[in-house]
Amino acid sequence: MCSGAVLHGGARCLASILSLSGSHTTSSVQLSAIEPVIPNRTVEQLVKHGRTDSYRVATIGPIKDDNRTADGQYKTRRKPPVKKRKPGDLDDLKQELDIDYHKVTPEELYQRFQTHPENGLSHAKAKENLERDGPNALTPPKQTPEWVKFCKNLFGGFALLLWIGAILCFIAYGIQASTVEEPSDDNLYLGIVLAAVVIVTGIFSYYQESKSSKIMESFKNMVPQFATVVREGEKLTLRAEDLVLGDIVEVKFGDRIPADIRIIESRGFKVDNSSLTGESEPQSRGPEFTNENPLETKNLAFFSTNAVEGTAKGVVICCGDNTVMGRIAGLASGLDTGETPIAKEIHHFIHLITGVAVFLGVTFFLIAFILGYHWLDAVIFLIGIIVANVPEGLLATVTVCLTLTAKRMASKNCLVKNLEAVETLGSTSTICSDKTGTLTQNRMTVAHMWFDNQIIEADTTEDQSGVQYDRTSPGFKALAKIATLCNRAEFKGGQDGVPILKKEVAGDASEAALLKCMELALGDVMSIRKRNKKVCEIPFNSTNKYQVSIHESDDPSDPRHLLVMKGAPERILERCSTIFIGGKEKILDEEMKEAFNNAYLELGGLGERVLGFCDLQLPSDKYPIGYKFNTDDPNFPLENLRFVGLMSMIDPPRAAVPDAVAKCRSAGIKVIMVTGDHPITAKAIAKSVGIISEGNETVEDIAARLNIPVSEVNPREAKAAVVHGTELRELNSDQLDEILKFHTEIVFARTSPQQKLIIVEGCQRLGAIVAVTGDGVNDSPALKKADIGVAMGIAGSDVSKQAADMILLDDNFASIVTGVEEGRLIFDNLKKSIAYTLTSNIPEISPFLAFILCDIPLPLGTVTILCIDLGTDMVPAISLAYEAPESDIMKRQPRDPYRDNLVNRRLISMAYGQIGMIQAAAGFFVYFVIMAENGFLPTKLFGIRKQWDSKAINDLTDSYGQEWTYRDRKALEYTCHTAFFVSIVVVQWADLIICKTRRNSIVHQGMRNWALNFGLIFETALAAFLSYTPGMDKGLRMYPLKFVWWLPAIPFMLSIFIYDEIRRFYLRRNPGGWLEQETYY
Amino acid sequence: MTVKKRPSDLTSLERFNLYYREKEPPLTGGQKVKRFIWNPKTRQFCGRTGASWSKIMLFYFTFYAALAILVAICMWTFLQLLDAREPKWQLESSIIGTNPGLGFRPMPPEVASSVIWYKGNDPGSYQFWISELSSFLQKYKRDANKSGAGQNIHNCDFKLPPPAGKVCDVDVSLCSPCVEDNGFAYQKSTPCIFLKLNKIYGWKPEFYNSSDNLPSAMPDDLKEHIKNMTAYNKNYLNMVWVSCQGENPADRENIGPIQYLPHRGFPGYYFPYTNQEGYLSPLVAVHLQRPKTGMLINIECRAWANNIKYDRVEGMGSVHIEIMVE
Repeated sequence: MCSGAVLHGGARCLASILSLSGSHTTSSVQLSAIEPVIPNRTVEQLVKHGRTDSYRVATIGPIKDDNRTADGQYKTRRKPPVKKRKPGDLDDLKQELDIDYHKVTPEELYQRFQTHPENGLSHAKAKENLERDGPNALTPPKQTPEWVKFCKNLFGGFALLLWIGAILCFIAYGIQASTVEEPSDDNLYLGIVLAAVVIVTGIFSYYQESKSSKIMESFKNMVPQFATVVREGEKLTLRAEDLVLGDIVEVKFGDRIPADIRIIESRGFKVDNSSLTGESEPQSRGPEFTNENPLETKNLAFFSTNAVEGTAKGVVICCGDNTVMGRIAGLASGLDTGETPIAKEIHHFIHLITGVAVFLGVTFFLIAFILGYHWLDAVIFLIGIIVANVPEGLLATVTVCLTLTAKRMASKNCLVKNLEAVETLGSTSTICSDKTGTLTQNRMTVAHMWFDNQIIEADTTEDQSGVQYDRTSPGFKALAKIATLCNRAEFKGGQDGVPILKKEVAGDASEAALLKCMELALGDVMSIRKRNKKVCEIPFNSTNKYQVSIHESDDPSDPRHLLVMKGAPERILERCSTIFIGGKEKILDEEMKEAFNNAYLELGGLGERVLGFCDLQLPSDKYPIGYKFNTDDPNFPLENLRFVGLMSMIDPPRAAVPDAVAKCRSAGIKVIMVTGDHPITAKAIAKSVGIISEGNETVEDIAARLNIPVSEVNPREAKAAVVHGTELRELNSDQLDEILKFHTEIVFARTSPQQKLIIVEGCQRLGAIVAVTGDGVNDSPALKKADIGVAMGIAGSDVSKQAADMILLDDNFASIVTGVEEGRLIFDNLKKSIAYTLTSNIPEISPFLAFILCDIPLPLGTVTILCIDLGTDMVPAISLAYEAPESDIMKRQPRDPYRDNLVNRRLISMAYGQIGMIQAAAGFFVYFVIMAENGFLPTKLFGIRKQWDSKAINDLTDSYGQEWTYRDRKALEYTCHTAFFVSIVVVQWADLIICKTRRNSIVHQGMRNWALNFGLIFETALAAFLSYTPGMDKGLRMYPLKFVWWLPAIPFMLSIFIYDEIRRFYLRRNPGGWLEQETYY
Repeated sequence: MTVKKRPSDLTSLERFNLYYREKEPPLTGGQKVKRFIWNPKTRQFCGRTGASWSKIMLFYFTFYAALAILVAICMWTFLQLLDAREPKWQLESSIIGTNPGLGFRPMPPEVASSVIWYKGNDPGSYQFWISELSSFLQKYKRDANKSGAGQNIHNCDFKLPPPAGKVCDVDVSLCSPCVEDNGFAYQKSTPCIFLKLNKIYGWKPEFYNSSDNLPSAMPDDLKEHIKNMTAYNKNYLNMVWVSCQGENPADRENIGPIQYLPHRGFPGYYFPYTNQEGYLSPLVAVHLQRPKTGMLINIECRAWANNIKYDRVEGMGSVHIEIMVE
């Protein structure tokens, strides 16, 4: 069992009992062969979870992100895992896995639940059960309380730093108020402003967050589901939530199974388990116990799967969270998903900026002390440095940028549940895609026909652009007639306007495929059936493996009855003695049988489900019109029939998928297929959509080509691989890593939900950012574990939508390409936006430093800094989100999550070291100009600070001998603040324009981003408004400027522009050169 | 179920092992810092090799040098446009405006304070104030030998305004007893405070044109004084008057009688100030003749003319002084 694995890591020792895939789950084979990769389980943990309780270890253990990379290094910027599931919960979960309800006799079952197959439960008992077990519904995943979310927004990120600033302000004010008679209110105001900034941005992000979560709530409001229940002998229609253990329920085709039930009666009952197991074919269900494994046995049907055919009656054995579906949903919600890549990047960035702010703040606090400043002054410096360093508006900008992209994506049918997931697709390097319903249409369609000894491709495309075939040949006519008549499927009513391929059909998936194919080929199938009235029929059953019906002829000249039969090809062939080829009936000889076999194998090899067709004209003398055919004891021939042909069906790929896969390829994204379906089918689909590209062989292909055993093939030679679930189970994680690393094109077939999880983890271990697409319940753990889970909006199950981060509203895989494109674009644009915003930090910090170190009057105040960060810089920064891509972003490799950071050394070097410095120079130049023009020449300013800021000095002399009162000096100082602010706005024009591109020239990129052009005008208008509005001198201490004071910054603005154009010119000239390594962010 | 063996995997497994071996064992925080500071393997200091460091430093050196040149050019050009003697913006167009404040001497050693505090019987405690005033009055001393500024000085009168380019003399000897020889009367616990009107380039006072038309806020004793003076000589209307008062009723009692020397105001012929060579601000010595000792007295002195607006909080047209004699 699992013990070995548990001792070391247990990483791969996943739920044995909960293995939900197909036929291979019969025994509880364990992954004991697997060696640990991450030897970081401690003995302590083993003692704690000492039992070989696979499910539990799997859930608590390394499934949860252990915050380490593959080589055991701690991942940066990740919070340590905190949440642990309580062992009690898990024990509960585990215990119900060992169900024996399918094994016991029906009588024991009834006794256990005190129920009766005919009368059902008593009302009292039902009520008692309901009170005991609660409603029959999945517990919604735990929601973080609203106030916790709110507090996170209020205290996360930079907010904490700003709170510290605000509190310091209040403290400073408090001390001033208690020591000085007439304290200046500056600190009080600043504290209030800072607190207001934090609260407003907090509320803003909270609002954004709750808005996107509201979209999700709309998915939750499902139509209530009803179930037919027998209680005290009465048939009742109850809401599915009110079902209790032991209830007798009746289910008919089209219903969703309301709970896990054991079948006690059935008539042709079939369920579609695809959402649970990924098998696209309906499974028949009946009262007989056929398998130890609850998922395999025929007498159980599971909650939330669909009944597609027949009717059944059953006893409810599991409800709500205890159902198989509930357990998988529980498994999914137990997973820790970790942070999104963009959240990691933002945290990285916040830590960086906070580090710089705290470092500078503390350094200058100490310097101020050493220089002999009063400690209260030092505290005020500290506040100033913090305020200058923190880009207050940036997080809101990022949120808005992401929201804009999310909206754009939603209009392209990608609904993003979690705002941060917008970018994730952009950095995705591996996509693990489910097959059924994602890559394929989840709709059986006739793909090939074999008649007249040739294979003909049928049209399976959604838009009917496929190959056409000769519809007049007698072979096709005969085949079509059988397919039309020997078919019980019918179109559901009320779908007149719907294209044939999209119409809903009542009946078996294969028959529906035939029906649609014939409807397309022949036209009105129903009228053909009417003309050829069915006189008798033997439906399909698993022992006969054929279906036969007898029809009256519509040909008045030939009144013979027509017997038509379809079924498993080899069974049909057994019953034939002749074959219809080229309009003639021939003896079915060995040669013909060989031809049949070849065709059968070829079609089977394409992963298609093949059906055989044969017919017989019953002689009219023996079987005249009105002959009583007896189906129980067939009084008509079922041997020596005439073989007509084969038809094969497949769930065809969606039309847009091959193109989308190719686009992902060229964008450097590895597409892996992970499916619960059969390997041959999976491989065929993989080949047809390009997941296995043309000419690439698997190990098996090479073996077949060279005619050598598989074991002798060097797997390195095979680029493609098809890995079976059972095979995967035997692999240890090293081997899995190896497969994932060395094969570029991989298909995993017959995988269980846990194995999907292992695959996702394997990819993540190799450093990939993994996207998972899927629609079924079985995909939900993988969807949750993936860096981004993408669920299907139409076909997807609710559980999968819950686990996913993104929902494709049109179920179109091609939308993922849009997502990748938008994600990459927003990452680039966020970089630009951050580069733009961070640049103005230098002209914001440097005045404080100069103030402290050079003893000059303060050139830029904290309020003006806030005006830049939260006023003029906001709209331009947001407008960069609208910037068009510079290059073909779908032609480059995905970014390296470890090296290509959002904010990297080069960006800081550019923003702080180069452009920021020019901006600071511009600001100081303006400052000195205004000071000098009013009387204080630069030389006079150095060392003047103490007298300048002293209220007691009413006659400070300037360079021209004029004497300034305190009030006039301050008016001059605030005018300088305003001018410094305006000059930052002026140089930010140039900064905004250079931030539009990272490599191209602005001439090439153009100025077509109208949001950005608006931003330029907006920031200028806002600056003018703040400067010239009467009353601003009282409110914000902003004074009106002479027009000429706007001008000194212009040479610096131009030099920023020219410098960066030259820099980018060299970047383009010398790709990969030194300048690129140092300045290309 | 047989495990699917891949016998030829050996090479790849070896590669695989290599891959894992290449990854170094996780370092502790201290080791990481150490390795960051000096990585002997790659010969990197703080993440860069010597060559890399010199390249980036050369780049930034060039960059900042260019930036410095740009700033220097801008600054030089700008300073060329400035007049050395005349501020670019004056009066209304300058931020200094047209409303002078008042200044006082001696100034306390602590810049943020406006308290003159000393012990009347302790020469050590008032010596500071005396020397402070002496150094302030140094440039007012008439010394015929003094070159430059001294030659510019002209004895002015109401009828004798200074010729162009000349400045009027301020004779501090008229301020007796507030003279240096007398220790500015500090040792007698009757300290003198010198007031001066802030210089504003080109500012001219608008005098009250008649003694009947004085603002109502003006203290009565000043009104009386103006009436007396103008009755004696009409020219005395051309004065910027000065009044000093205790700020609070208690202060008004404590302050005692005040004497203003040499005049109770600044004569009009000193204005306008145009940054003349050797210009001397006119002074008014305020002699507190009997201040109450042991009490902090808040004094507010105010300048009076038609175009001097007054705001105590903003310090417009006035000055706040605190004095304490023990």
